[in-house]
Amino acid sequence: MIEVTGLTKTYSIDGQVLKAVDGVSFSVDRGEMVSIIGHSGSGKTTLLSLIGGLTRPDAGQVAIEGINIWSMDDDKLSEFRNKKINFIYQFASLIPTLTVLENVLLPTAFGDYGEESEEYARELLKIMGLGDKTTSYPAHLSGGQQRRVAIARSFINRPDIVLADEPTGDLDEDTEKEVIQLFHRMNEEKMTTFIIVTHNRDIANQAKKQFTMSNGVLSPI
Amino acid sequence: MSTRLNIISFATKNLRRKMIRTLLLLLAVTVVTGTLFTATLFISSMQNALKIGTYRLGADVLVVPEKYASEARAALLAGEPTSFYMDRRVLEQVKNVDGVKRVSPQLFIKPTSFTCCYSVEAFLVAFEPSTDFTITPWLEKNLKKPLVDNEVITGRNIPTIVGDTIPFFGTPFSVVGTMEPTGMKFFDQSVFMTMDAAYQMAENSKTKSQQPIDIEKSKISAVLVQVREGIAPDRVAIRIEHDVDGVKAIASDEVISTVRKQLGGLLKGILVISAVVWILALLMIGFAFSMIVNERQRELGLLRSMGAKKGHIFRLIITEAVIISVAGGVVGLAAGSALLFTFKGLILHSLKLPYLLPSLSTLTELVAGAVLFSLLTGLLASLLPAISASKMEPYEAIRKGE
Repeated sequence: MIEVTGLTKTYSIDGQVLKAVDGVSFSVDRGEMVSIIGHSGSGKTTLLSLIGGLTRPDAGQVAIEGINIWSMDDDKLSEFRNKKINFIYQFASLIPTLTVLENVLLPTAFGDYGEESEEYARELLKIMGLGDKTTSYPAHLSGGQQRRVAIARSFINRPDIVLADEPTGDLDEDTEKEVIQLFHRMNEEKMTTFIIVTHNRDIANQAKKQFTMSNGVLSPI
Repeated sequence: MSTRLNIISFATKNLRRKMIRTLLLLLAVTVVTGTLFTATLFISSMQNALKIGTYRLGADVLVVPEKYASEARAALLAGEPTSFYMDRRVLEQVKNVDGVKRVSPQLFIKPTSFTCCYSVEAFLVAFEPSTDFTITPWLEKNLKKPLVDNEVITGRNIPTIVGDTIPFFGTPFSVVGTMEPTGMKFFDQSVFMTMDAAYQMAENSKTKSQQPIDIEKSKISAVLVQVREGIAPDRVAIRIEHDVDGVKAIASDEVISTVRKQLGGLLKGILVISAVVWILALLMIGFAFSMIVNERQRELGLLRSMGAKKGHIFRLIITEAVIISVAGGVVGLAAGSALLFTFKGLILHSLKLPYLLPSLSTLTELVAGAVLFSLLTGLLASLLPAISASKMEPYEAIRKGE
C-alpha cells in the first residue's frame, strides 16, 4: 500500500543543514495501523508531510498503491490527496468563517463529491458527539470540540489513508478513547490505513506496527 | 438545503472575516469607479448635447455682428439670452460670398417673463419661413404645416403644452408644438416664431406692453449659412469675414472644437486625478491581499492538504478581490450617479455648457465599462498575491503559518 524508500528531507537553518528525515524506509500494508513515537523535533511531522505529498523530498520516494506520488504533477497529486489521503493536525485546523458542517464538508469542495456527502458529514459529527453543533462556528467550540470536528473532516472523503499528527492532543480521556475507537472502526470496516504520530504510548501500543523516530531516523520498536 | 461550498461562497465568507478591511477596500474601488464613471458620464452628456444641438442648429456658419461674437457663442452654448441687431443688407452680402449655398436670417430677442402663469424666462428666436433651413425641416416633419404668424413652437424646457396661449410683449401666441430636448438651452429654453410675427410683436409692444421693444424690419440678429458641399465651413467663415464688413462668422465646427478643448482640459484633469487614485487603490488592494495571503498561509496550506489545487487557491484569492472590486464598482456607479444628479445644476451653472444624457445604449456601455474597469482593478491588484499564494508549498505554508 505505502512503500517509503530512502526518504530524506533537509532544511537549512542559519546556514546549518538539518536532516529532518534521514533515509527513512518502511512499508505499510492496506488497512494497517502504524504508530510513530518520538520527541518533538525528531522529524515525525515532516515524515507525515512527505508521505502525504505536502512537501517534496530531497531524496527517496513514496509509492502509494505502486505509484510514486512525486512522479505526478501538482494537479494530479492534489486530486490524489483529495481522493485517497486525509490529515489530522496537532493544531486547530478549522476555518473560522465556516460552520462546523461546512468545515467538515470542505474537502468535498475540491473534488467530485455528491449531495450524499452532507448526510455523511452529519453522521460523522454525530459519531463525534457534535450532532447539535452543525451550524456553530469554531470560535464557539472548545479546543476538544474543534479537534473532533477536524477528525470528522478527515473522514469525509472516505480516505484510504489517514495521516494523524497527535490526533488526540487536546482531548479529554473519554473523547480520546472514542476517537481511537473510531480509528479502529474505520480501520476494520473500511480498511483505512492509519499512520499515527503520537507522544501517547497507550495509543502507540494499539497499533500493529510501531516505530520510533529520533533525529530523522525511523526505527522499528 | 445543501451546504455544498463553492469558491464564491467560500470567498464571500472569508471577506466577512475582517469587515472593516473589506469595507475600506470596497471604498477605495468605489471612489475610483465613481469618479471615473461620473466624469465620463458628465463629459459624454455634454458632448452629446453639443452634437445634437449643433445638428439641430443645422447651419454650418453663424454670422453675427462683430462686437457681439462672444454673446452669440454664449447664447449658442449656454443659452445665455441676448439680443443684438445688424442691418438686413448683410444677408445679401453673405449670400454672395463664394462657397455659400444658402442663407437665412434670424432674430434673437431678449428674454421676457410670460405675462401670466409662468416664471421661466424664454429666449425668443424668430426665423424666416421662406428661406429657413433649420426650423422648417422640423416643422415639416413634426407639425406637417408651416408656422403662421400667431403661432409659436417651444423648446422642451418651456413649461407649456400644445394648445396653450402665451403672450409676449402684449401679443398672444398659440403653442402648436414642442421640440425634443437637445440639452442646449439655446433650443430647450427658446420660443420660435416667424420673423413677421416678431416684427409685428415689436410693433404691438409699443401700445400693448409695459416693456416695449424696438426692432425695425430692416434689422436681423444673425445670418445662418449653409455652405456648398465639399467646402470647409471654416474657410467660408474666413471669406465672409473678409468680404463683409463688421461681422463675425462662427463656424459650427469651431463652436464644437472650442467646447471640446474646454472639455478636453477638464477630462485631462479628471483622468490625472483618477489615474492617481486608481494607482493608490491598486497598491492598497494589492498590499491588503498580500497581507491576507500572509495571514492565511496556514489555512491555504490546509486547503492544499485537503486536495485544493493551485488553481483553486489562485481562484479563491482572485474571487475575493473581484467580489470587493465589483461591489465597490457598483456602489461607485450608484454614488457617482446620485452625486451627479444632485449637483448637476450647480456644475453646469459654473461651466456654462450644454448637457444631455447620452442614449440608452451609450449609457449601458458606460455602466458596463465601469463595472469591467472595477473588475479589472480587483484582478490586477490581486494577481501577484494570488500567484504567490498558489505557488506556496503546502507543508511550508502550514509551517510558516504556525
